[in-house]
Formats: sequence, C-alpha cells, structure tokens
Amino acid sequence: MSSTARDSSRPPLRRGLREAAGILGLALALALAAAWLHPRRPDFDPHTYTLAPELPLTRLAALPGSVLWIDARSDAAFAAAHIPDAVPLNEDHWETLLPGVVERWQPGVTVVVYCDHRQCQSSQQVARRLRRDLGIDSLYVLEGGWQAWQEAHP
Amino acid sequence: MKRLALRLAEIVAGGVFLYAGALKALDPAQFAHDIALYRLMPAALVAPLALTLPWLEILAGGAIALGLWRRGALLLLLPLSLAFLAIVGITWARGLDIACGCFGTGGSSLALTFFRDLGLVVLLGWIAWRQLRPAALR
Repeated sequence: MSSTARDSSRPPLRRGLREAAGILGLALALALAAAWLHPRRPDFDPHTYTLAPELPLTRLAALPGSVLWIDARSDAAFAAAHIPDAVPLNEDHWETLLPGVVERWQPGVTVVVYCDHRQCQSSQQVARRLRRDLGIDSLYVLEGGWQAWQEAHP
Repeated sequence: MKRLALRLAEIVAGGVFLYAGALKALDPAQFAHDIALYRLMPAALVAPLALTLPWLEILAGGAIALGLWRRGALLLLLPLSLAFLAIVGITWARGLDIACGCFGTGGSSLALTFFRDLGLVVLLGWIAWRQLRPAALR
C-alpha cells in the first residue's frame, strides 16, 4: 500500500481519491463477504427495521379486540406502579419474563408496549423482539409511555 | 516535534476508528438495529450500511494509524465523522433516548457521544490540514 514511484508522479489529490476508492472498494468486498458468511449477519428484510407504530392513548378505544399491555420498563419501575393488567417484559430479564407474556397472549389480541416516557426506546426494542421471537404483528408502542398514562389517569 | 505530535494524533484517531469498527463488525445484526433506532435511514439501507460502515472504519482507521494511504483514508473519514456528528446532534436535539451504537452493544449517552465525536472531528481536521494542505501535498 506504500506509495510507489508511479503513484508519486500522479497529482496528489487524484492520488488521494484513488486511495479512497481503493479503501471503499475493499470495505464493500469485505461487507459482501460478511453478508454471506458472518454468523451475526443482519437481516436484509426491510420489515425487520420498521419501527412499531406509536399509538396515542386517545386511539386506544378504536383498537379491535382486547389489548395486552406490556411494560418494558425496569423491574423496579414495574413493581412500583404499572398500567392495570400489564405484563412486565424487558431486555434485562427477557428469558424469565417472556413465558408470562406467552401465557397471556392469544391470536387476535393487540399488544401495546410502553416504556417510561416519549423519548425512551426500550418499548421499540421489546416490540421488535416480540415481532421476531413470537411473530406478533398486531403490535403498537404507546405514545408518551408511562408518563402519558399517568397524565391521563392522575 | 510537530511531526511527532502529528504521528501521535494519527495513531490515536486511527486507533479509535479501528476499535469502533472492529466492535461493530463483530455483531452487524445488532449494529443494524442500532442504526434503525435513529429513524433517519430508509429501512432498505440499514443492513447494507451495517455491513459496510464497520469495515470502512477498520480499513480507513487502520490506514491512518499505520500511516499508509492516509490521504485517501482522511478523505473518507472526515466527511463520515462530520455526518456522524450531525446525526448525533440531530438525534440529541430530538430528545431521543438511545445508545449511540458507536462502540458496539450498549454505549454512552448521546450528549457524551456528541462531544466525543466533536473531539474526533477536530483531531481529524487537524491531521487533514497538516496532510492535505497544498504545502504537504507537494
């Protein structure tokens, strides 16, 4: 990769661009190999990366069928208070908490996941894993999370 | 003395990219989900980006650290770092509470990430100014 006599005769910027193209080409080749061989290669289905739609509390009544609330906050936050009938499920204790969700969920039930507040992302992460692991499609994330619920139910 | 400082800066900046890229290259599936949480990228581009970006960081970071093809590496890493900085800044301003994903699983807050990226951009900018200015290119 060191500069050869031929390289040094090229205009410097052009040489830099050629080097950049070389690095980029090599990175693309390695990425292609990883896409084929890597044991942790990402899923190419765009659906995997589509985030669960956010559901405002005001649209809750319009949902068909019954709702299963899933609390994606910490165990301590769930123990302190939660939406009535909610089931805890967070990534820290996924394996131990998942059976509780499986027990309560049935086809036709809409799942609504919530975390602490509007900016938290754990509800999206839990929703993604539920869709992947259990194949649940009727899945929403509560807009505003636990904070919005508390404001609506003082 | 300036030469030594420049070489040290190259090793540090290149090493940071090499390390960050290697951590992400170990688990591109997780990195893809980290990218998706930023909500800035079309879903179809997430997987290709999650596979390519870590290798770009490893190769370009390694090139700068080793002092090989450093101009090409700087031409790639400087705009990339500025783009990272803008993305982290926008995400921070939007108030999203996500781990940056810059160094693999988990990670630091967006505020810390922003200032760390800013430091890296300044360091790369200085290296680029020393290496790419017309006098250095001659």
